[in-house]
Amino acid sequence: MSRTRLTVVLSQAQGKNPAKRALEESICAALIMEPGLDVSVVPYLYDLDANHTGRLFLEGVQGDMVVLTWLYPRACFWLLDRDGIKGHFGESQLKPADTDEDDEEASEPEPPKGIGSVEVPDRHIYCLDLRDFNKHEPYIDEVRRIARECKDRREAKLKQWVQGNPTMVQLGSYLRDSEQPVNGKEHPTFQPEELLKQPGRRWYPVIDYSRCTNCMECIDFCLFGVYGVDKLDRILVENQDNCKRGCPACSRVCPEQAIIFPDYKTPAIAGAPVGAITGLKIDLTKLFGGDAQDALQQAALERDRELVNDGRDAVGMTVGMPKRQTGKDQGPKDELDQLTDALDALDI
Amino acid sequence: MQDLTFMMGNFAAELPGDLRYATTNHMWCRAADGHLRFGFTAYAVRLMQDVYFLDWVVNPGDTVTQLQQIGHIETSKAVADLFAPVGGTIVAFNQELLKDPSGINVDKYGAGWLFEMAGDAGICKDVQEYHQFLADNWEKTQRLIKGKINTED
Repeated sequence: MSRTRLTVVLSQAQGKNPAKRALEESICAALIMEPGLDVSVVPYLYDLDANHTGRLFLEGVQGDMVVLTWLYPRACFWLLDRDGIKGHFGESQLKPADTDEDDEEASEPEPPKGIGSVEVPDRHIYCLDLRDFNKHEPYIDEVRRIARECKDRREAKLKQWVQGNPTMVQLGSYLRDSEQPVNGKEHPTFQPEELLKQPGRRWYPVIDYSRCTNCMECIDFCLFGVYGVDKLDRILVENQDNCKRGCPACSRVCPEQAIIFPDYKTPAIAGAPVGAITGLKIDLTKLFGGDAQDALQQAALERDRELVNDGRDAVGMTVGMPKRQTGKDQGPKDELDQLTDALDALDI
Repeated sequence: MQDLTFMMGNFAAELPGDLRYATTNHMWCRAADGHLRFGFTAYAVRLMQDVYFLDWVVNPGDTVTQLQQIGHIETSKAVADLFAPVGGTIVAFNQELLKDPSGINVDKYGAGWLFEMAGDAGICKDVQEYHQFLADNWEKTQRLIKGKINTED
């Protein structure tokens, strides 16, 4: 795992969809021929628990990394972050095939208002969504482009270091022989069959810390002990597997739409990109006869269903509902806020 | 009854006069072989645009209540759960659409039908009532789609 090579990890789809498997295989076959890449395959990223070999492998990767998954990049990136596999968000230039001309006017993204991640190492993680194209070529081209970008970035930093004052971190990264153990630990080698051991299905929220303001509405709302705080008093999805399969209720009460359920059916909750609204599909369920409840009522109902399933009493809207009045409606809304408002306003 | 047209911005949604309409589902209803055949109206198809994926979560023979969820659709512009327009029994799903759901876009009032049910179409409205329903709700619907779907082409 040298720092001058680019690690590419492909995370498989759940299930045995032949079209998805074929795409995965053709991407891997093409990438293995590329120089300068370390290519690995792991099962569906979201399902990997802390003991899965695929997770251990990812945790051991040094340097820049490309992760190809059947998840939105935002979901993939913050999922890795939660698992301690951190880095800076690498901007992909992959554009989904159905991107229209009228997307071009998309404005510059606003500076993040969230609390961000902490202890982010000096490397980039690029997350590519395997649902964007059904052929391998665009992914291969993008991985090549990323490899060049990472190389240029390394060289620019090296130049800076030669000319100027290196920080200790940079000293560490450029003077170390790339094959030497890091912190005395060998990066373990893994057998492919261990890496690919099929995990059980999991279900839990992923927090997008670029949006999360640490308001703690989710910890008040969830009655299943999913949320906690870390040693810096930052909100944390502490007990992931306490979460109730299929229930996305806390994401509905989050005032910043920072809670992602990567496997949920509607893109806004599954972590679709914020800002690229034309790529974001609208949920027209309400238009076709679905319940016209507002998001909070729906969240309370979803929570009650899980409480009753657990043999507990339903609490309705009486516990842990957001106190939205204070400080709300200040500052510009981004497009995801507007979309959510538009959905709520629609009662037919 | 004569055909009507509902103007969605510059787009003309044709509403055949010989059909009944499940207004809250934006589906048309036609009696066929003793059953009720349902499909999406031009209005619904225009909002969703190209259909990519159609999936049913109930089986033929199942009894469903009105507005029970029966399926799910994904299109180029939208996702949505789908609900039974009337209470009754599901008789059949259009098998051709399961192979290629774009049939909905090609012939929405004909070969692109969705499913057949045995039930009472009494709550379905005539074309004038559906047109009125669309007009009454167009402001609200526009709020949903404005800026999200390019309605001027």
